[in-house]
Amino acid sequence: MPDVPADDAAPGRAEPARPAAADGGLERAIRAVARGDERAFTTVYDQVAAAVLGTARRVLRDPAQSEEVMQEVLLEVWRTAARFDPASGSAFSWIMMLAHRRAVDRVRTEQRAADRQLRAARASIEYDEVIDAVESRLEHERVRRCLGSLTDLQRESVTLAYYGGYSYPEVARLLGVAVGTVKTRMRDGLIRLRDCLGVE
Amino acid sequence: MGGSRAGLHTLVGAYVMDAVPDADRAAFERHLTGCEPCREEVRGLREATARLGAAVAIEPRPQLRDQTLSAARRLRQLPPLVAQRRDPRMARRPARWTRLSGAVRQSWLARLAATAAVILAVVVVGLSLHLTSMQHRLSSDEQGSHAIAAVLGASDAKMMTAKVRTGGMATVVMSHRARELVFTASKLSVLPQSRAYELWLMGPAGDKPVGMLAPAHGGMAGPMVVRGLVHGDRLVLTVEPVGGSPQPTTSPIVVIGLGI
Repeated sequence: MPDVPADDAAPGRAEPARPAAADGGLERAIRAVARGDERAFTTVYDQVAAAVLGTARRVLRDPAQSEEVMQEVLLEVWRTAARFDPASGSAFSWIMMLAHRRAVDRVRTEQRAADRQLRAARASIEYDEVIDAVESRLEHERVRRCLGSLTDLQRESVTLAYYGGYSYPEVARLLGVAVGTVKTRMRDGLIRLRDCLGVE
Repeated sequence: MGGSRAGLHTLVGAYVMDAVPDADRAAFERHLTGCEPCREEVRGLREATARLGAAVAIEPRPQLRDQTLSAARRLRQLPPLVAQRRDPRMARRPARWTRLSGAVRQSWLARLAATAAVILAVVVVGLSLHLTSMQHRLSSDEQGSHAIAAVLGASDAKMMTAKVRTGGMATVVMSHRARELVFTASKLSVLPQSRAYELWLMGPAGDKPVGMLAPAHGGMAGPMVVRGLVHGDRLVLTVEPVGGSPQPTTSPIVVIGLGI
């Protein structure tokens, strides 16, 4: 299932299973994009656009705004590909970082107080929605299973922050726990998620 | 200190999920610069959050593909950040931050006071002509002076100097905690009337124009306060058309890594 390019896989060493988007092919494509390679950019688009759009949609809810964010993020990748630094993480995590940050920035700048209350009211259903959406594909299934291995408080802290776009003080308020507790649960939850997913 | 560092470190989870308010984020990113294990943890947790995103992927409408690809074709790409290493005329050893000693601080403040005096003199001369606009100018200059004094007076203020490739020296005094810096340059080469020095912040997310340096006053250009510094930013000086450019059009004549 994982499509591991021959020149990246060390002979005789089993590569851990990773999603296609996180393998060396994307890094290579980004390097080519940095040199202005338009075909490589279509490769990048095809590998990440759905994940970027899905993330934006989770945070923003609004389909039109989510599409805007997706396009902005892809154009940012095109524009700044030469400044991608492999030492600070995989190309996929770099792009997803740009996507999530941009979606959250939009929420924080545009959200009016009334809106926020509305979102708070909806927050209780976030987790169920995540589970609804993560079906069928293997990747979805693995993430769902790994989210399930977190404690309730860890999982709620992580999903409210990542999918809900809430800051940790807001998450603490929504969950009715101390901010210090939420900070710790977010970190512990992500560490457990990382270990469960087997990412380095 | 130990307690607050440990407290900071637990922010790593919230940080990679963009769930940290601005004030905390500045403190955390400063913590990151001096903590390799923390950066390693950030890397690992970012891979995990990326998978959270991948798990909720939605196939975009097919039209968006062509729109995005053709928009990219019309968009100029940023060059890699290499100026410091590539140009042998630039400082060979990596520049170092030095703590701002009391004496240096005093001399800067004195210089600042001198600048303010010059501005004040100009204001007094022009007063009868443009009373309102001058008052505007004075109040914004005063604000500028306060901002400068705040950076210079910060307990963590550090100074760095770098040679400007085309002549002169650039000096930065920075408070990492406040994420603010003051930039000045001395002995910059005189430019043709159609050209001016423009200051930029260049980082992973792109180039941001900071402002045009006013023509040098007695060999000094600036001081200019730069705020809102983010992780990975570098301070860059280029020569641009006198009205400024939205993107740098010439190669950097000085690049200063800010260590944030």
